[in-house]
Amino acid sequence: MKILVPVKRVVDYNVKVRVKADGTGIETAGVKMSMNPFDEIGVEEAVRLKEKGAATEIVAVSMGVPQCAETIRTALAMGADRGILVETDAELQPLAVAKLLKAIAEKEQPKLIILGKQAIDDDMNATGQMLAALLGWPQGTFASKITIEGDGITVTREVDGGLETVALTLPAIITTDLRLNEPRYASLPNIMKARKKPIDNLKPADLGVDPKPRLTTVKVAEPPKRKAGVKVGSVAELVEKLKTEAKVI
Amino acid sequence: MFELSEEHRMLQDLVAKFIDRDVMPLEKAVLAREMSGQKSALSAEEEEVLLGKCRELGLWGLDVPEEFGGANLPTVALIGVYEEQARTCVPFTFPPDSPNLHMLMAVCNPEQRKKYLEPYARGEAQSAIAISEPGAGGDPAGMITRAVKNGDDWVINGRKIWVSRVPQADFVIVMARTGEGKRHEGVTAFIVERGTKGFNIEREIPMLGGQRTYELTFDDCRIPGSQLLGQEGRGFAPMQLRLTVRRLQIGAWCIGMTRRALDMMIEHAKQRVTFGQRLADRQAIQWWIAEAAMKIHACRLMVYDAAAKSDAGKDVRTEASMVKLYGTEMATETIDHAMQTFGAMGVAKELPLQLMAQKVRTMRVYEGPSEVHRMVIARRLLQDRR
Ligand SMILES: Cc1cc2nc3c(=O)[nH]c(=O)nc-3n(C[C@H](O)[C@H](O)[C@H](O)COP(=O)(O)OP(=O)(O)OC[C@H]3O[C@@H](n4cnc5c(N)ncnc54)[C@H](O)[C@@H]3O)c2cc1C
Repeated sequence: MKILVPVKRVVDYNVKVRVKADGTGIETAGVKMSMNPFDEIGVEEAVRLKEKGAATEIVAVSMGVPQCAETIRTALAMGADRGILVETDAELQPLAVAKLLKAIAEKEQPKLIILGKQAIDDDMNATGQMLAALLGWPQGTFASKITIEGDGITVTREVDGGLETVALTLPAIITTDLRLNEPRYASLPNIMKARKKPIDNLKPADLGVDPKPRLTTVKVAEPPKRKAGVKVGSVAELVEKLKTEAKVI
Repeated sequence: MFELSEEHRMLQDLVAKFIDRDVMPLEKAVLAREMSGQKSALSAEEEEVLLGKCRELGLWGLDVPEEFGGANLPTVALIGVYEEQARTCVPFTFPPDSPNLHMLMAVCNPEQRKKYLEPYARGEAQSAIAISEPGAGGDPAGMITRAVKNGDDWVINGRKIWVSRVPQADFVIVMARTGEGKRHEGVTAFIVERGTKGFNIEREIPMLGGQRTYELTFDDCRIPGSQLLGQEGRGFAPMQLRLTVRRLQIGAWCIGMTRRALDMMIEHAKQRVTFGQRLADRQAIQWWIAEAAMKIHACRLMVYDAAAKSDAGKDVRTEASMVKLYGTEMATETIDHAMQTFGAMGVAKELPLQLMAQKVRTMRVYEGPSEVHRMVIARRLLQDRR
C-alpha cells in the first residue's frame, strides 16, 4: 500500500507571528519555518503503518517556494521514501492545493492520503475535505486513532461531544488530530540517509492545474490587545469575581 | 562566508529538541543538588536514560571517524550542537568528549588505537588529561613532572593539579618532561591507566559551578614503553591541537549560555514593572539586550569562521584564542546583566543564572586564562610586523 503525505511549510510554532505593516499578510522574512505540526503527525502515522507492514511506500508532497524541499527532507528523515515538490510562487489556497493533490493522487494511485486537520498558519481546516470531495473518496477527519484491516480502515474521530468511530473503504482520506501519535525526532543517521532519497520537482502546469486564488485577502490584523488584569485582595474576592464577572464557576 | 548545509541545520534542530524535551526538565534537580553542596551533576540513572536516547538518535560519536562507527562530522556541524547543549546548565555532552579524541587520533599507533582510541571513540572508555602543575598552569611549558626511561619502561615522578574527570577516567593522558630540551621541547605524552601503582589521587578540590578537580602525584609510577603517545619529546603539538578543539567548543558553548541569559532577560524585562514602567521600556535594560544580541552575532561569526578554517586544515590557534576569549567575556557580561535584571531572583540559587555565572567564571581560567590569550594574540601580531 502506498501512502501520500502532504506536508506544509509554515512559520514555526514557537515563533511569535507578526502582521506586516501594510496589513497584507504576516511577516515571514527571516522567520524560522518548520513542518506544520499536524503534518508531522501524519508522517509519523504513515511511518508507523510502514513499520507494522501495512504500508510499502510513503510519498511526501509539499507545495510552494523552493524551500519547501526542506520540509520534504524532514519528512524523508522521519521515514518517508521519496518526495514530490510542486514549485510555485503563487499564493496557494486550500482549493488549489486540493486540486494539485488530486492530480498527484491520480498519478501515484495511493491507497491512503494522510493530511493534517489544519495548518497552523491559516487554520483553514479545508484541504482534506476538499480533496475527498474532488476524488470522491471517503474521509475520516480529526483522527485520533486509525486501524487498517484488509480493504478498510477504522478511524476514531475527535468530535465535539466525544469520540466517533467510522469505517471507511480504501482508498481514503485521513486528517490528523493532535492525539493520533507523538511524532519521533528524525535521528542523525536518518537525516544523513534523507539526502540520498529522491525529490521530484514539478510545476502546477505539469499537473494541469491553475492554482489561481479564489479568495481575496482583504486585511490581516493583530488580535486586539488583551485588557489589563486586576489584582484581587483575597481568595474570597477572586471566587466572587469568577462567579459574578467572569461567570466561569 | 559559508552557509550551513541542510543536514547540519537539521542536526542542530534535532539537538535543540532533545535539549528542550529531555535535558531541560532535569535542570531543577541539578540546581537542587548544587544548592545542597553536592556536585551539580546528573544521577547515574538520569544519565543512563539520556545516553540511551542519544544512541537511538545517533547523537553519539559525532566527530568520530566512520571506521570507528562515528558520524565523522566536520567542526562546522558541531558548533550548533554545542550551542544548543549549553543553553542548559545540566552538564551533559554526547560521548565521547572531543578534545582527547582528536589528540588520540593524531598520536595513537595501531596497538594504541585498538586499546585506547577505539573504546574511547565508542564512548565505552573515559579519559582525563593532566597538564597543569602547582608551578605551571597558564604556562604549561614550565612543567617539571619528569619521565625517565628504565629498560623498556618509563618511570614518572611529579605532581599534577586541577585535573578534571579523574575518578571516572579509565586512563589519564599525562604530559611529562623527558628530554633535555627547555620549555615546550622535550615534553612527552603518556597514557597512565587507572589503578597503576604509583599513580595517586591526592585530593578532590571542589570548584565553582559544582565542578570538581583533582590533585595527582606520580611516585615512581612505572608504565610500559607501549604507553608513550606519539613521538618522544614531541607531545606539545598534539596537546595544542586538543586545546584548539576545546577552545572552539568553549566559544560555541558561550553562545548557547549567552542566548539563554538573553532569553531570560527579555522574558523578565517584559513582565516586571517598577516605578510604573516595564523594565523592557528602560534604556538601561534595552542597551544590555542590544549588546548581548550584537555580541552573540559577532561570536557566532567568529566561531564558524574558525571552524570552517579548521575543517579546511588551516592552523587556527590564533582564531581559537580569540574565540575562547571573546566568548567567555561575552557570556560573563550578559549573564551578569541578566542576573541584575532579575534583581534578587537573579542571585537566588533556584535560578540557573548563578550556576551559569559560576561556570563561565571557571571558563575564563581553564584552557588558558584570558590574559594569556591576549598575550598570544598580540604576540602573533607583533611578530608578523617587521
Ligand atoms: C574548572 C577547571 C578545570 C580544569 N581542568 C584541567 C584539566 O583537566 N587538566 C589540566 O591539566 N588542567 C586543568 N585546569 C587547570 C587550568 O588549565 C589552569 O588553571 C590554567 O591554565 C591556569 O593556570 P594556573 O591556575 O596555574 O594560573 P597561572 O598560570 O598561575 O595564572 C594566574 C593568573 O595570572 C595571570 N597571568 C598568567 N600569565 C599571564 C601573562 N602571560 N600575562 C598576563 N597575565 C598572566 C592571569 O590572570 C592568570 O589567571 C582546570 C582548571 C579549572 C579552573
